[in-house]
Amino acid sequence: MVLGQLGGSISRALQQMSNATIIDEKALNECLNEITRALLQADVQFKLVRDMQTNIKKIVNLEDLAAGHNKRRIIQQAIFNELCKMLDPGKPSFTPKKGKTSIIMFVGLQGSGKTTTCTKYAYYHQKKGWKPALVCADTFRAGAFDQLKQNATKAKIPFYGSYMESDPVKIAAEGVERFKKENCDLIIVDTSGRHKQEAALFEEMRQVSEATKPDLIIFVMDGSIGQAAFDQAQAFKKIVSVGAVIVTKMDGHAKGGGALSAVAATKSPVIFLGTGEHMDEFEVFDVKPFVSRLLGMGDWSGFMDK
Amino acid sequence: IFQSIAGKANLEKSDLESALNALKDRLMVKNVAEEIAVQLCESVSASLEGKKLASFTTVSSIVKKAMAEALERILTPQRSIDILRDVHAAKEQGRPYVIVFVGVNGVGKSTNLAKVAYWLQQHNISVMMAACDTFRSGAVEQLKTHARRLQINLFEKGYEKDPAIVAKEAIQEATRSGKDVVLVDTAGRMQGNEPLMRALSKLIYINNPDLVLFVGEALVGNDGVDQLSNFNQKLGEFSTASNPRLIDGILLTKFDTIDDKVGAALSMVYISGAPVMFVGCGQLYQDLKKLNVDAIVKTLLK
Ligand SMILES: Nc1nc2c(ncn2[C@@H]2O[C@H](COP(=O)(O)OP(=O)(O)OP(=O)(O)O)[C@@H](O)[C@H]2O)c(=O)[nH]1
Ligand SMILES: Nc1nc2c(ncn2[C@@H]2O[C@H](COP(=O)(O)OP(=O)(O)OP(=O)(O)O)[C@@H](O)[C@H]2O)c(=O)[nH]1
Ligand SMILES: [Mg+2]
Ligand SMILES: [Mg+2]
Repeated sequence: MVLGQLGGSISRALQQMSNATIIDEKALNECLNEITRALLQADVQFKLVRDMQTNIKKIVNLEDLAAGHNKRRIIQQAIFNELCKMLDPGKPSFTPKKGKTSIIMFVGLQGSGKTTTCTKYAYYHQKKGWKPALVCADTFRAGAFDQLKQNATKAKIPFYGSYMESDPVKIAAEGVERFKKENCDLIIVDTSGRHKQEAALFEEMRQVSEATKPDLIIFVMDGSIGQAAFDQAQAFKKIVSVGAVIVTKMDGHAKGGGALSAVAATKSPVIFLGTGEHMDEFEVFDVKPFVSRLLGMGDWSGFMDK
Repeated sequence: IFQSIAGKANLEKSDLESALNALKDRLMVKNVAEEIAVQLCESVSASLEGKKLASFTTVSSIVKKAMAEALERILTPQRSIDILRDVHAAKEQGRPYVIVFVGVNGVGKSTNLAKVAYWLQQHNISVMMAACDTFRSGAVEQLKTHARRLQINLFEKGYEKDPAIVAKEAIQEATRSGKDVVLVDTAGRMQGNEPLMRALSKLIYINNPDLVLFVGEALVGNDGVDQLSNFNQKLGEFSTASNPRLIDGILLTKFDTIDDKVGAALSMVYISGAPVMFVGCGQLYQDLKKLNVDAIVKTLLK
């Protein structure tokens, strides 16, 4: 499923190179071109792909490799490392602790899946014995509060919002205050969709963040997004301190390469994937097993933890 | 970087290669799907091979010119649909004109349905909205809010009803009350989700709308190609009609969020042959425009 086709193309490219009798410049280039193509088809940002190609070439300097070195293995390792580097910002995200109040704010582009994912995130933790609560700080989208309310009711999670109040900052602050008093340990704040081209929307996001002091801000991204992913994700990160990414709609055919761009742009790890419209269609995400799954090759495990 | 080869006999594929590769990269940076960028470059190459290069021209300029022409041709609709004219024609037949909005999740179907309603109102056309997303939380209330703000009639039967039947009843109601247009909102669905695609095909078969409008977002990458080809394929495959209805036109949304990365417009039209009938460029009712083909071509090649 997830990025699976991309993995298939990459392993095929590596396989082809392994079949070549001698690994020279030409064989390496062909292999890298195939991989580049697969990454571009998966919507990884163009510049990231080009940089990766250059890096691998630098690492795998064929002339410098003394005879006797296993070139194939060195190339494979370089590719694996570069992919991990793209998906792994190096530091884990903030992890909330059960029983201790954490405030989590969800942000992202319009229609990316924030409201749906807020409920999934709450439901996931509720099943593990947490006391989550949902705050609807989207006063802009028609029916936003009804959507959150219906989701929360279905999942039996307390919620806060208003049909009358139009200031999302005020609602967010009130909601967080209320649920702190009620001793909820996971207070989740849903916000309106927004984009970098509208400064007023970004300013509103900054104010909601300032008013609620979230422990973690999650950037929610649609898995089918194309080349605009990097710039948008980076712009969000500039205004608020995004600390994690959730990629949604991975039940579709999209290969989710935009996720790699968002990780690079926000320097934050992907923590969950959305895999459907229902509350329980939600998967924990872990980089290394993911990349080896992505490459569809068993023996990659040998490269891990190096 | 591209040396002039004026005076040389005929252009060969190898003469064109580096200019075309640079152009292909540029298209992909602008968010044209990889597959489409490759196909386009191949066809431009084929159209130029064997041609003579006029003096004082460079390969890169002739390639760019040929590409601009190809892009223009693709983006200029073959079939033109005049909704306002067709609405009046339907009215003369004593029936409402029906538009069904379809597409994957969260692309902007409901919001842009409301924008189209507003646009029709500006032309003194009476509208009814039909809440046929009976699945997603808040979908009915979302449409209700738009209907109230625009003072438009809404036909709704709440949640969990068969959307095909709700649409049918809405059209009957609109016919009875003499409405000019019915705008049918549907639930978002992934193009590969078979049960949901079957349900959509049923809705379209039962109600035979005047226009099946595919809503796609300008943010989408390579999946845009897959979305359109699969919606068309599944609508064909799952229909019980001998001559199934496919996508008639495209409504491209979130055009205000992509800067110069306008490639999705090209990918969608290229793969479906359907015209972009509207462009959504904001979250307000008036944020609906026509596609400016010239501007798209210029942006893609810049
Ligand atoms: N198939 C699928 N659909 C999803 C997934 N996550 C969300 N959706 C759907 O995507 C659409 C948009 O989701 P929302 O949660 O409303 O998105 P949002 O980011 O809150 O939207 P705004 O508040 O308008 O910015 C809805 O139809 C959801 O059901 C997923 O993982 N898979
Ligand atoms: N910036 C921008 N946002 C838009 C545009 N069109 C729609 N949106 C926003 O996109 C989000 C999703 O819009 P909806 O109309 O709910 O999308 P949908 O396709 O009906 O979603 P589902 O029914 O859940 O599949 C909302 O926040 C809209 O305000 C547009 O042209 N530009
Ligand atoms: Mg929302
Ligand atoms: Mg909708």
